[in-house]
Amino acid sequence: MAKCFALIGWSLPVIESMQKLGKPYVVVSLPDFEPYANENDIPFVPYQLDEWSDTSNSLDLLEQLKPFDVDVAVPLYEETVEWAGALNSIYRGDPRVLNRAFLFRNKAMMKRKALIGGLRVGLFEEVYNKEGVKAFMKRLNQANLQLEGEEDSWVHIKPFASAGTVGHRLLKSMSDIDDKCEDGDFPCLAESHLPGREFSCEAFIHKGKIRFLNITEYVKLGFSNFIPEGRYLESKRDLIHKHVQKLVDIFGIEYGMVHPEWFLTENDELNFGETACRIPGGHILELCSKSYEFDALAAFVVSHDPNATEEELNAIFPDDSFKPRNYHGNVMIYPHKRRFSKLEIPEELNNEPYFVEHTLVPPLEGQKLDADRDGFGNHFGTINFKGEDPDRMTELLKHYQTVDFYV
Amino acid sequence: MQEITDKVFDNFDQSLRDFVDSAEITKQDKATKLTSQVDVLSLTRNGLSHLYSKSAVLDEAGIFKGTAWDEPDKLIPFFVKGTLKAGHPSSSFEILSELRLLGYATGVNTSSKISQEEAQDFLEEVMVHNLEFALREPSEETRSIMSDREMKKAFNLFSFIMTEIDLSGVYGKLVEEIRLKCAQRPILTRKTRELISLVNHRFDTSGNSEVDREMRTFINAIYAPSEGSVKCPDYASYQKFVDQSDQRTLAEEAHAMGELMNETGLVSGYHAILLRRLVNDYKDLVPLCLDLNDRGIAEWEKFNELVSNIIQETVSTDNCQCIYGLTRMLGANLFSRRPVRVGLENLRKIKINSQVEKRIEKSLINPDAEVTILQYLIGGTIKVLGQPLGVGQGNNPTCQSARGISMWSQHSPAKLIDMIITVATQNNLMMRFENQDLVSNHLGKGLVDKLDYNLDVVSVLLVPHLDKIYNEMMKRSYGRADDPHKWVNPAMYGQWIQIGFASCYDYLSNSILDFEGFLRIFYAAFHLDYNGHHEMVYPNPVGIFITSNKGDMVGFHAVSLLRVNKDDEGVMRAYFLNPNNEGRQDWGQEIRPSVHGSGEKPGESSLPFHQFAARVYAFHYNCLEIKDRLNIVPLELLKKVEDLAHSSWGKSYVWNQQTKLW
Repeated sequence: MAKCFALIGWSLPVIESMQKLGKPYVVVSLPDFEPYANENDIPFVPYQLDEWSDTSNSLDLLEQLKPFDVDVAVPLYEETVEWAGALNSIYRGDPRVLNRAFLFRNKAMMKRKALIGGLRVGLFEEVYNKEGVKAFMKRLNQANLQLEGEEDSWVHIKPFASAGTVGHRLLKSMSDIDDKCEDGDFPCLAESHLPGREFSCEAFIHKGKIRFLNITEYVKLGFSNFIPEGRYLESKRDLIHKHVQKLVDIFGIEYGMVHPEWFLTENDELNFGETACRIPGGHILELCSKSYEFDALAAFVVSHDPNATEEELNAIFPDDSFKPRNYHGNVMIYPHKRRFSKLEIPEELNNEPYFVEHTLVPPLEGQKLDADRDGFGNHFGTINFKGEDPDRMTELLKHYQTVDFYV
Repeated sequence: MQEITDKVFDNFDQSLRDFVDSAEITKQDKATKLTSQVDVLSLTRNGLSHLYSKSAVLDEAGIFKGTAWDEPDKLIPFFVKGTLKAGHPSSSFEILSELRLLGYATGVNTSSKISQEEAQDFLEEVMVHNLEFALREPSEETRSIMSDREMKKAFNLFSFIMTEIDLSGVYGKLVEEIRLKCAQRPILTRKTRELISLVNHRFDTSGNSEVDREMRTFINAIYAPSEGSVKCPDYASYQKFVDQSDQRTLAEEAHAMGELMNETGLVSGYHAILLRRLVNDYKDLVPLCLDLNDRGIAEWEKFNELVSNIIQETVSTDNCQCIYGLTRMLGANLFSRRPVRVGLENLRKIKINSQVEKRIEKSLINPDAEVTILQYLIGGTIKVLGQPLGVGQGNNPTCQSARGISMWSQHSPAKLIDMIITVATQNNLMMRFENQDLVSNHLGKGLVDKLDYNLDVVSVLLVPHLDKIYNEMMKRSYGRADDPHKWVNPAMYGQWIQIGFASCYDYLSNSILDFEGFLRIFYAAFHLDYNGHHEMVYPNPVGIFITSNKGDMVGFHAVSLLRVNKDDEGVMRAYFLNPNNEGRQDWGQEIRPSVHGSGEKPGESSLPFHQFAARVYAFHYNCLEIKDRLNIVPLELLKKVEDLAHSSWGKSYVWNQQTKLW
């Protein structure tokens, strides 16, 4: 087992898991968190993670972590992936670990790597301005043998290094490019629209092998998901497992967790969307913990440790034969109206047997939505459900996504 | 009451286990999630008992850590209402906190921080401060702030506490509440009866104190109003008793019941049985049984045939409360008016629309099987005619409609009966506004979203229609640069309303304009010292600012100014009808409307004239008559009132001191 884990970033649930696990750890995060950490006896190293300079770099951080005897670094969110990569490349004596971290942070590089390795990806290109996107769409139209008057091929653009859906735009026509793209979007990745049913999975990797694979069913991307996957995806589990292992092999990932997004077509072909190697959003690991009855956050941390023994891993992960007893799902609630004055919980939720809990709070007086929210913006709270039937779960999540909680 | 599935309990228990197992740093986060389940569970009684059974575990696990409820011995009963009103999550924490204290108070659980007695004292204090929840009669202020869901939670909590706790400490307060309620002679006596029943079951009232004696009067009024009724445990045996009794015994029974009814305004089912027997066989005893005054006796002698018919057709044990209305009707000589007699004769013959029947049925709790909806309706009509000031709005935002029913009952009873007949048979109502016909069934929604059926029968019948018509008139009058009530009130209520209208709020400048000039008119029009000692003839629809007990602006409310008179102590008072029917109100700045003891007739509220003036924002007046009187109102008097207004609701507005040409 590692002598000490450095958790890069800030997450109270992960800290809680580490406290329960009883393994040594130190949190590296922005100095703002220091008072809280001191108050709550959390081992802490304040670090200017948003800065790269003579006094703020991985070699300096390495020195600061020496008193804690750190030998494994764990990134807690997207922006700390390189920091953890840099430290781990030193701890493991393998410079490529850092390069791999960069790979996760550049969507174009990531796609190229996948393509070389033989995964199905769409057509993609780095673009630098609107003209570039138009040229890309034009070539795509040609390849798709577009006839006069037919619709343009759909193109997605995304920043190279942002989490989830932030900055992601779908362009359905040439005029969309003029309307929706802004100069600030560039440079970025343009890619063709991938057909198929979208889902994500979380693969915990140790020594290059999938130790545990979680599949998350998206009911609506960014709004609702549940775990374990529904009946259809479950029937494709072997196929998915095979592809994820292939991804792990191609990328040369040895430790940690990958969180790839896929598109499953009707012909059982998997298209690779993108992947990250941090804790996924949407409270996915929370749902995963509940359904598989283990501490997915602790497992996430431990899977970064090259020295973890079989026994230690077995103690944390669920058995291969484990079958979840319940589906756990959630729906993130966004106000539908621009102006609202109160939170209203609908009557039907009161006696819903699948309802577990919610984190919705009443709006502040006069609160309204910003016009320029990015990605999906911040949700106002989550509603958690639990039950035995995945179809009923899907129905519920779909329904509550349309309900106005803020009126 | 809605039941909760076991699943919900299982889910809660699971989350509770997670909470107990969680580390300190995520406790608060998990506590918030847990309260979302508390929120749901507290909507039902079995949900509350489940929470109650877990309250000690929750407390020990630190659910209150880092919150205002952390130290139970430092909690302040007075603040409970505020947090309940603040909504979830505060209200959910508050409910949990009360449940935990209930556990400590009853000795089911023990705490190292608070003793059993302290917990008991605390809850008693909380009960007294929150009778509006315990009695399910929220004030105007509460209703404007809390959502239905939150009110339901609060109602549930207090009814749960009441069944679990020893209430002896709040006995005196409850008796006072019953006294104040009865003093107002509301038409709807359901809540008063519930309260009396509660006290009867939960307290020893056999003592010799003033309070005990008073309480026994109320209990007897409902359960044992005479010697005969004491001997008969149920109505069937009492029926037998009166069938077999001689005239002397019946006279004694009639005397006892009549007196008790007039003393309390409450009627028992026994009274109905007795009255029917007397009407059949001993008509001479009816005046005694109704405890009629001289005018009432004369009225009875003249119209006893009609009145006897009505009694035979209408009065039943469940419908008994209308006997008091009948007494008041006779005492006010209403039967001497031909239109009223004709109206009642017509009403007896109608066929009620089926949807109306359903609506009325919904408002009855345990209707007698043999009593028809028409009988209930006639009984309800008698109550409204006999007790015009007993009309209330229930938990509905319909003070305007209640005010209208009360006013027609007083000044145009035949018009009211006519309206009742139209709506009862057609389930529709028509009024005219500025040369256009408004037909309620063709109109959109009114102010009421979902009618609270805790209303008298006539209100259940009329309010949905009046509300829609009123709302339509308001809609048509918006945007005219003055308060829409200026046009709506005379159209809605009738020709009794003066055409002149003053509002201190100026729509154009969005400010309080020339408040001094506004007050000057109010004084010159109504204050006896400045209006030439002209007493008011008809009620005046007045708009007032409702303020909290700290004097802060809460909202608007409609009342009727009924009369202005000096009380026994020489204080000039404004007597008004508040359709809210609340005994205990506190509008801040020591302005507390009284309902009893300052010369109020039953159903009236009153305030010293200047305090009332300090809350008024709009009223009607005769603009031709006041001109000469304006200058005799002394300025320092107006300044005093303006100060009160300025430092309370006035803080929510911009004030403009310009002089307005009224």
